[in-house]
Amino acid sequence: MEIVLENFTKRFGELTVIENMNLKINEGEMMALLGPSGCGKSTTLFAICGIQKLNGGSVYFDGQDVTLMPTQQRNIGVVFQSFALYPHMTVFQNIAFPLTVRKEDKLTIKKNVGEMAELVHIEELLERRPEQLSGGQQQRVALARALIRKPGALLMDEPLANLDAKLRLEMRSEIRRVQLETGISAVLVTHDQVEAMSMSDRIAIMKDGKILQVASPDEMYQRPENDFIAGFLGNPPIAFLDGIISAGNVKISSGNIEFPCPENIEKLPDGSHISVGIRPEFYQPGNPYKISGTVSFVEIQGRENLYDIRLKDGSLLRSIQSANVSPLSSGTEVDWGVNPEQLFFFDNSGKRL
Amino acid sequence: MSTSTGITGGSYQTTPSILRSLADQGFDRSTLKHIGTESYLVSERGLQAAAKAGTKTELVEELRERYLGETFASRRLFERFLKTLDNRPRSTRALKTTSPYFRKSLINERFNGEDEFRRALKELGLDLSREQTDQLVRASYTGWIWTLENFRKMFLLPETRQILLNTGFYVASTLLLFNVGFALVLAITTFYLPKGQAAIFRALWFLPRITPSVLYVLLWKWLTWDTGFINAVVANFGVTPRNWMLDTAANAWVTVILINGFIGASMGMIIFSSAMTAIPKQMLYASEVDGANRWQQIRHIILPQIKWPILFVTVYQTLSLLTSFEQIFLSTDGGPGSSTEVWALSAYHNALDNYWGNLQYGYGASLALVLVVVGVIMSLLYLRLFRFKELVKLPRIEQ
Amino acid sequence: MSHNLKNWPIVVGLILATIPIMLMYLYLFVDTFTDTLPGEMIPNRFTLVHWRFLWENIEGKASVWLAMLNTLIFAGSVTLIVLSVSSTSSYALSRLNLPFRRQFLVGVLLLHAFPSITLIIAIFLILQMVGLYNTLIGVILVKASLQLPLGIWIMKGFYDSVPWEIEMAGIQDGASRFTVWYRLVLPQVRPGFFALGLFSFLEGWSEYILPTVLAPANDVQVLSVFLAQLIQDDQHFDFNLFKSVGLFYATPVIIFYLFFQDKLMNIYGGGTKG
Repeated sequence: MEIVLENFTKRFGELTVIENMNLKINEGEMMALLGPSGCGKSTTLFAICGIQKLNGGSVYFDGQDVTLMPTQQRNIGVVFQSFALYPHMTVFQNIAFPLTVRKEDKLTIKKNVGEMAELVHIEELLERRPEQLSGGQQQRVALARALIRKPGALLMDEPLANLDAKLRLEMRSEIRRVQLETGISAVLVTHDQVEAMSMSDRIAIMKDGKILQVASPDEMYQRPENDFIAGFLGNPPIAFLDGIISAGNVKISSGNIEFPCPENIEKLPDGSHISVGIRPEFYQPGNPYKISGTVSFVEIQGRENLYDIRLKDGSLLRSIQSANVSPLSSGTEVDWGVNPEQLFFFDNSGKRL
Repeated sequence: MSTSTGITGGSYQTTPSILRSLADQGFDRSTLKHIGTESYLVSERGLQAAAKAGTKTELVEELRERYLGETFASRRLFERFLKTLDNRPRSTRALKTTSPYFRKSLINERFNGEDEFRRALKELGLDLSREQTDQLVRASYTGWIWTLENFRKMFLLPETRQILLNTGFYVASTLLLFNVGFALVLAITTFYLPKGQAAIFRALWFLPRITPSVLYVLLWKWLTWDTGFINAVVANFGVTPRNWMLDTAANAWVTVILINGFIGASMGMIIFSSAMTAIPKQMLYASEVDGANRWQQIRHIILPQIKWPILFVTVYQTLSLLTSFEQIFLSTDGGPGSSTEVWALSAYHNALDNYWGNLQYGYGASLALVLVVVGVIMSLLYLRLFRFKELVKLPRIEQ
Repeated sequence: MSHNLKNWPIVVGLILATIPIMLMYLYLFVDTFTDTLPGEMIPNRFTLVHWRFLWENIEGKASVWLAMLNTLIFAGSVTLIVLSVSSTSSYALSRLNLPFRRQFLVGVLLLHAFPSITLIIAIFLILQMVGLYNTLIGVILVKASLQLPLGIWIMKGFYDSVPWEIEMAGIQDGASRFTVWYRLVLPQVRPGFFALGLFSFLEGWSEYILPTVLAPANDVQVLSVFLAQLIQDDQHFDFNLFKSVGLFYATPVIIFYLFFQDKLMNIYGGGTKG
């Protein structure tokens, strides 16, 4: 099912949370709504499934206007952050509930619940109650319950936030597997960029009720439209240094380097102030333009080492390096470099040049 | 509770309490006394009315022929006289229905209109000035009128001051000694006891709250009355039996405060106890490691942690003590005299349970209205304590 | 807590303070089955004579069984009304976007703080006017409505603590708002529902002022009024008889207390907070 939000506006009392938002989710794709908490991503999800009303704009499912259609008739599956399993019902009754309220006959229900249990691998848990299940199992039940009506779309509100780290990895691939197996359109609301990047086909990144960019994970990482997106994606995060254009060169005073403008910023007038984004993987010993500093913090992750480098004027750069050389200790002077081709340049408003 | 209800409106009735309040206002006392005393007269008018109502003709004839004009000082005397007649009424019921027709008094009699009432006043044969008549008519009207008279009366009556003082004393001492004070003692002591023992004491102290009030007060009567348990005990030491509940004002107050306090302590006990179990154990261990003794622990760790529950219980119990009168009503009923009469009880007495037999709904209701005002003010205090905003948060499903 | 301090002084102190309660309730049981000579503390013989009111009427009084039946009807109906009205209305107040929802809540809160004495005079007059004075229906309606603000308040507290997501999930699964309430939310608040029922029943069972003012006649008398009048009218102060009637009257209370002590303590203690 294709979902379209057109000029979607949402207010809570006096406060406008989302204004004139447009978003299209294609048939069969997994779209992640990514952003910091309070950016309006859950509000968007509630608007799609109809739990909250729109103050303006429309929602279309496959071209049909469903703005005023009650939730119950929209045929959408939702997985909530806390899973929202019904505590007084068994797993079977939980999964069967959407069919029970539709007054399906017992045999159909039994057959369908069986299929769903098989899909999410919980066949042996059907007689248990939610409190007897682990977090991962509860998640699977919630998924099965959301899917049993063969909904047109699956919406997930921070589905992994309530799980511990190991389960999160496992469920990440499980949810993706189920989504691909069923071919259902899905919306994933998350604040975790790793989740969004690893699970979805496209990401819509949001801030303060606005969508900043919609793109595939790879494209968004490689070509972020502004400094916020560049900073939000990637761990450890990108570092920014101030630069100035001077006679066709970029001058970074805190790094004490100067290099010719790459072609995308050639046209900037002399004296323009820009911000230079340096991802940790691109601040490395082998690169030509050296920026010297002192190691201020080392984090050893086993396969890789992360370094924070403090420059003379106090600004900070980060570097990630494979751990095949023995790690440097704090306080060591280093002299690593950057390659202008790998850097991002942002103008005063934060837009990437 | 059988006499008048003002609700029908429009009728006139002079009652003993109206006479009393007129006397307070400086109305001539001897006139009032005359109006107030019942007397019975065998009159032609009475005979006709009785005959019309179906009293035996023989009885009416006998009265008319032989006793016309005789007066009797009270109903009792008149009825005793009737019983001596040849054609005396057979049943007590017939006797009781006959006698009222000969009553020569206004007291407690209901008149449907002002003219009727004025005529009856005139027939009493008193020398009333026009102002006096008007005053009597106004005072005896039982129907609706818009008036602030009740509140004026509340201000002027010397009883009001006494009742106000009583109420203040009752609420303050019960609250301090039991509903908050002893509740804290119970909560803190049981907090330090092993679970089993604590549960026993809490269960025992909860009994007064759960016991129906009539039975609970009965148990106190058994404890305190002349033939009660305390007397049985102290008799061994040569103390003369007496009613500890009612013999002196001081003893009555002690009993009233104990009766209400024993009920009141349990609510605070439960709320404080649960608030105290919510204090993180580590905090208590830490204070012990830091060298605090038990008293210091209570003083510096526990009490500050439960200050909101204490405030809540204080506010809540102040209001419930102000307005509850059931236990006092069942035990001392405001006595001896009116030494334990509190505001709520006084409202009840005036409106619904007047000793004089007539009921002053209006005055009682205005006393109650004062409690309403106090209640609203204290509820506004609640609103703050309850964090009302949270309670009216908007629903999250918008359909 | 630390056990470096002795507990026995606390226990002794508490026992001393609790003596009146222990005495009263001990003798409540003992005296109904025994006789005690005047001025003595220890009973001298076992007897069932104080329980004779069960098979013969006390002079001038209606049968105690009639009063028992009236009390059952009274307390039962009050419970039914309170449960059905507060379980539905407080859901609406807690979860639905009603017009005047805020005003309703303020009203409930204010009424909750209102004591019955402030209203009873007006109620007395109104019942007389509509002809429900001295009827069970009248006093049932009055007690139930006075009990409702607290009931609504308590149930709202329970509803407020049910996670929104359960309801959202129910709606998402295609259930109507009513089905969501009945099949998903009500089971979550069952402990509160049960406790409120218990509380209302006991409140009704113990209520004295309302029936004594609004329904004092012999044929509609409830046990509290029955017992109070018995005590008032009797000139011999036959405490053993009073206590036997009282114990008979309090039996359900005692049974409920023995079985549901914790639940009751919760609602009496925390009920006011919702």
